[in-house]
Amino acid sequence: MVPLSGYLTLSAILFTIGVIGVIIKRNPIVVFMCIELMLNAVNLTFLAFARYHPAPLAHDLAGRTEVYLAGQMYVVFVMAVAAAEVAVGLGIIMAIFRLRKKVDVDDMNILRG
Amino acid sequence: MDPLQLVWLVPGLPLIGFLFQAFFGKAIVAKLGDAAGKKVLGFAAVLPVFAGFAITLILWANLPTNTETRAVVATLFDWLSINDIHPLKVPFEFLIDPLSIVMCMIVTGVGGLIHLYATGYMADDKDYPRFFTYFNLFIVFMLTLVLANNLVLMFVGWEGVGLCSYLLIGFWYKNVANAKAANKAFIVNRIGDWGFMLGIFLVFAVFNSVSFYPSGHNLDRSILMEAADRLTNNPGLPMVANPALWIPLLLFVGAMGKSAQGPLYLWLPDAMAGPTPVSALIHAATMVTAGVFMVCRLHIFFELSQIAMLVVACVGAFTAFFAATIAFGQFDIKRVLAYSTVSQLGYMFLACGVGAFGSGMFHVVTHSFFKALLFLGSGAVILAMSHEQDMRKYGNLSKYLPITYRTMFWGWLAIAGIPPLAGFWSKDEILSHTYASGFLHGQGMAVFLYSVGLITAVMTAGYMTRMMKMTFLQTDERWRKLPEPHHHELGPQHEPHEVGRAMTTPLIILALLSIVGGAALAIGPHLFETFTHPSIGLSLMKPTELPGGTEALLIGLSIAGAVIGLVLALRNYKTQPADQGLGVPVRGWRALAEKQWGYDGAMYRTFVTGGGNFATLVWRWIDAGIIDKVLVNGIAKLIETVGVLLRPFQSGFVRGYAFTMLIGVVAIIGWVFLKAVVR
Amino acid sequence: MDITQMPILTILIFLPVAFAVILAVVPKSMLPAIRGLALAACILDFIACIPLYFQFDATRFQFQFVEHHAWMQNLGISYHLGIDGLSLFLVQLTCFLGILSVWFSYYVKDRVKEYMIFMLLLQAGMIGVFCALDLVLFYIFWEAMLIPMYFLIGIWGGDNRRYAAIKFFLYTFAGSIFMLLAVIGLYVSYQQVTGQASFDLVSMQKLAANGELIRDTGLQFWLFLAFAVAFAIKVPMFPFHTWLPDAHVEAPTAGSVILAGVLLKMGTYGFFRFCMPLFPDMAMRFVPIIIVMSVIAIIYGAIVAAVQTDVKKLVAYSSVSHLGFCTLGLFSLNAIGMTGAMLQQINHGLSTGALFLLVGMIYERRHTRMFSDFGGLKAKMPVYAAMFLIVMLSSVGLPSLNGFIGEFYVLLGTYQTAVRGLYGTSLWMIVVAAGGVVLAAVYLLWMFQKMFYGPVTNPKNEELKDIKMFEKVILAAIIVFIFWIGLYPGTFTDKMMVSVHALRLQVTESPHFRPVWDDPSQVVQPNGDMEMGGGEIKTAQSQPVDRE
Repeated sequence: MVPLSGYLTLSAILFTIGVIGVIIKRNPIVVFMCIELMLNAVNLTFLAFARYHPAPLAHDLAGRTEVYLAGQMYVVFVMAVAAAEVAVGLGIIMAIFRLRKKVDVDDMNILRG
Repeated sequence: MDPLQLVWLVPGLPLIGFLFQAFFGKAIVAKLGDAAGKKVLGFAAVLPVFAGFAITLILWANLPTNTETRAVVATLFDWLSINDIHPLKVPFEFLIDPLSIVMCMIVTGVGGLIHLYATGYMADDKDYPRFFTYFNLFIVFMLTLVLANNLVLMFVGWEGVGLCSYLLIGFWYKNVANAKAANKAFIVNRIGDWGFMLGIFLVFAVFNSVSFYPSGHNLDRSILMEAADRLTNNPGLPMVANPALWIPLLLFVGAMGKSAQGPLYLWLPDAMAGPTPVSALIHAATMVTAGVFMVCRLHIFFELSQIAMLVVACVGAFTAFFAATIAFGQFDIKRVLAYSTVSQLGYMFLACGVGAFGSGMFHVVTHSFFKALLFLGSGAVILAMSHEQDMRKYGNLSKYLPITYRTMFWGWLAIAGIPPLAGFWSKDEILSHTYASGFLHGQGMAVFLYSVGLITAVMTAGYMTRMMKMTFLQTDERWRKLPEPHHHELGPQHEPHEVGRAMTTPLIILALLSIVGGAALAIGPHLFETFTHPSIGLSLMKPTELPGGTEALLIGLSIAGAVIGLVLALRNYKTQPADQGLGVPVRGWRALAEKQWGYDGAMYRTFVTGGGNFATLVWRWIDAGIIDKVLVNGIAKLIETVGVLLRPFQSGFVRGYAFTMLIGVVAIIGWVFLKAVVR
Repeated sequence: MDITQMPILTILIFLPVAFAVILAVVPKSMLPAIRGLALAACILDFIACIPLYFQFDATRFQFQFVEHHAWMQNLGISYHLGIDGLSLFLVQLTCFLGILSVWFSYYVKDRVKEYMIFMLLLQAGMIGVFCALDLVLFYIFWEAMLIPMYFLIGIWGGDNRRYAAIKFFLYTFAGSIFMLLAVIGLYVSYQQVTGQASFDLVSMQKLAANGELIRDTGLQFWLFLAFAVAFAIKVPMFPFHTWLPDAHVEAPTAGSVILAGVLLKMGTYGFFRFCMPLFPDMAMRFVPIIIVMSVIAIIYGAIVAAVQTDVKKLVAYSSVSHLGFCTLGLFSLNAIGMTGAMLQQINHGLSTGALFLLVGMIYERRHTRMFSDFGGLKAKMPVYAAMFLIVMLSSVGLPSLNGFIGEFYVLLGTYQTAVRGLYGTSLWMIVVAAGGVVLAAVYLLWMFQKMFYGPVTNPKNEELKDIKMFEKVILAAIIVFIFWIGLYPGTFTDKMMVSVHALRLQVTESPHFRPVWDDPSQVVQPNGDMEMGGGEIKTAQSQPVDRE
């Protein structure tokens, strides 16, 4: 069985690749992909921990036993947010592309102070 | 019904007249045509004033004969009323006593005559209704002033007459100079009112009341003693050590403003910018004497402070003398009369300051006769001379204006103090009381004040003679030498004509009053003195009686003074070059006197120019400078500066932000690791 | 009709709101309908507020026409409305000026619909401020009324309107922040003392009267100061006044009228509704400071007014001077002075409101407000000149007009305090303050002279016609009250009297005087003189309060 540290190492590598990508890439689509990479790295961590260190069983007020799937839950949330983000982000990129005929993050600084 | 309740009609009828003129005046002139409309309006303006006079006579007849109960209070409604630990109750109440009746008679009697005169004087003015609107309103306020039974109601009249004075001085509003004179009058009066108001406050603080007499109280000594007691035994006012001194002084500031005394005299000469009937009614016969009236009405306050009495006497004497000197330098006929009014008012205050309040009031009465006469006469002259007021362009007018000359002749002798005319009696009384005021101010001071008064009497005769000579007596008709006029000004072809009946009738009546008015009230059973008891006569002072010989000597001296003044002026002013015509420069002390010894200019520079500069400075520096620029906009600037400093961090590059975040994350993680390692 | 059974105050507040909602759906192009509806709203509001006067029980100091409903119960926030003798006339003044300013807004031609909606919302906010008895409710109305005013200045204002609007907003808002902090402070303090959550003003006043609301003097000081700064900005008192000239000058005429007539009163209102009863000790301690500030405002406003070149700016600075009299009288802690302050608020609303209307009338004809463009108008517009004269004299404080009564009461009352040396006052303050009356004559007469006297120097003024009928009616309505208050102030002061006494007793006699707001049987003597025997007051409720 693969030890926990294996998942974590993989996750760290993926995350680092994502970070570096976000910082050095000029194409916003690639930047997006890198962000996805980072999010999935985190998801991997969540799932690994949830599998190796599951939350203890608990009892609700009525005394019934409940099982917490907090880690897995968060992964679902992250995936949902990521999807929404991509939708909005791609929309923005499309709008910029229509306006400027090219997309390069180094050209987008209209929010400069 | 109690006939004394008719008192409400005295100001009430002119009030109706005022409303009538204000709301219907213009419409009536428009409807009936100019001549007929003005006739109706003039009648409607004069009638209520004379009706007021008639009612005053009824009131007089119905006044209780018992001298101790001759003060009746009539209350209309509660005007101001605040419940408090020291409740404020100011009813709308009138006091009918000999003093207010005397003043009412002057205001309605002399005022009515001047109204009548004004119907003629203003006949050609297109703002005829507006004039009588203001004129009737003035009568209303003046009557409120003199009839009021409390200080606040008196203050209503006091400021109200000031308002009418303001409106009437600026009546010919197209000339900015008139407007400025009007402003000056109102503002200088307000300075006086400032003192008056503080005086009212102090009176209320001491007495918890502002009424002169409680309703239904006999006017006996006890009421005076009570007031004196309250005033001198400090009623628990830690901040005012000596209310007995401060009350009269503060009230006197108000009197100085209204009666053009001391430093506050300077509005009155400029007030001559108004139409001449205004000068006669407001700035000679009635309003300006309100200060004297107020001092007499409240004489008890003044009597209780020897210092205040001395201040009143000295200010009066000084003003009488000072204004007389200025009168010698004036060429405007109305300005001569204005300074003579200031000087005569000084006389009245001198009388008050030496404890002769009755004599002061007596002079108010006689002065209202002859000064109204002189002003109305001068108005006739001005009208006859195409509104020219410079005496250097007059001369030999006795030939053209016989009635005016003959009536003014008596006014001239009356003000000079020639017996047995009106002015002689009152002036002589004032002078002899001044001489006898040693019991109050010490004999040295009394003699000093007396000599100032006597010298002023000589000077009065002098400058009035100068005026009469320049106007009527000198035989050269100086306007004949003037260049041809452009508009309707005075030119060499001008032929003066005597004025109409509406204007000569008041002149004749006033001349008669100036001739017999003084004697009728003074000789015999001392009519005026007994009549005004107890309003004035009731006093805490015990003046010393002069021995008969001294009294005779004093009378002789004052006659001699008048005659000397007349004779000297008649002889001297034959040869004064500056008075012979235009273009001759005025030299010597009279040049300074013409400029009011520089006082008016200095005041103007200090307060108008200087005050304006100061205000601009305050505005530009404190308001726009410190508060707005430094503090308000400064805070905005500060926030902006901080923003500018932080701007470079907002590069707009997403990657830059990401990198910054990375650094932050690394730093935090590093810190966490470091802590773990150290532990 | 017995309006005490009706939620009359709610009606007063929300009637304009309802009309604003209706206006929102009226098409933009129907100008007469829009103007008519707005005017109808104001007239209905005014009609609804008239019975307040007659049904107001002047013998009681307790709040009347009270509406108390739970709102956010767990936070202790309630919908609590009510008026006493002090706010009665402010509410009526608001309704009265509302009609006149909306009517005069006939001259607004640009985006009329939005304008009228803002005017109506503004009126609702203002009435709400004067009626709210819950601190949070008060705060909501206070801020809510800022927004329409901001837009009125910012959209329909003069050339420099954006600067003025932002300045006005930020100034007031800066004050409001302090007030919010103080409100929270009071809430926390109240909770500590009683263990209950409440923002209710009446409960807090009751506690404050016992001296139990805030025991810590330092905290009292800071909370008082926070409130005082917020209200001083609104009044405005001397160093906080510079928003006023800008806002007044740039606002449209109706905005200036409301600003001067009502908004400034919120400052003084705040002082006597919150600062004084909630912090009696501090109020007494601050008397010398506030009186000195008022005297400075009186003199300073007058001096600066005297050198203005813009008519509206002159009137704006005169407001600083006149409001100085209000705060002066309020902190004289003397029934005469405080009544004067209450009256002076009304007077200022009428006179200065009328002055702004008058300036607006000439502005609509000549599109300038500079003195240098006028002169000799009396010949061209006699009725206008006459009405201007009356209003100007009322502002000068001529006896027999309203201004005099207010100033006289204020000065007399303050003098009564000062002459006895109470609360650290001294006589010179009042001597100087009375000098403000002289200065008022200086700048107002100067204004009148510049505008009306002299020859017509500007050829553009040759064609001027006198004011229209509806303008005459507007001014005449104000002038009626100018004379009414001047000749018979009792109509107004009688209704205030007991409330003024209660306010004074709350401050000066705390903690001996303990008002029981919810018990109508507790009475303040009409002469304000408490019957005190051995430290006990013979009012019905002093015993139960003691036992608490």
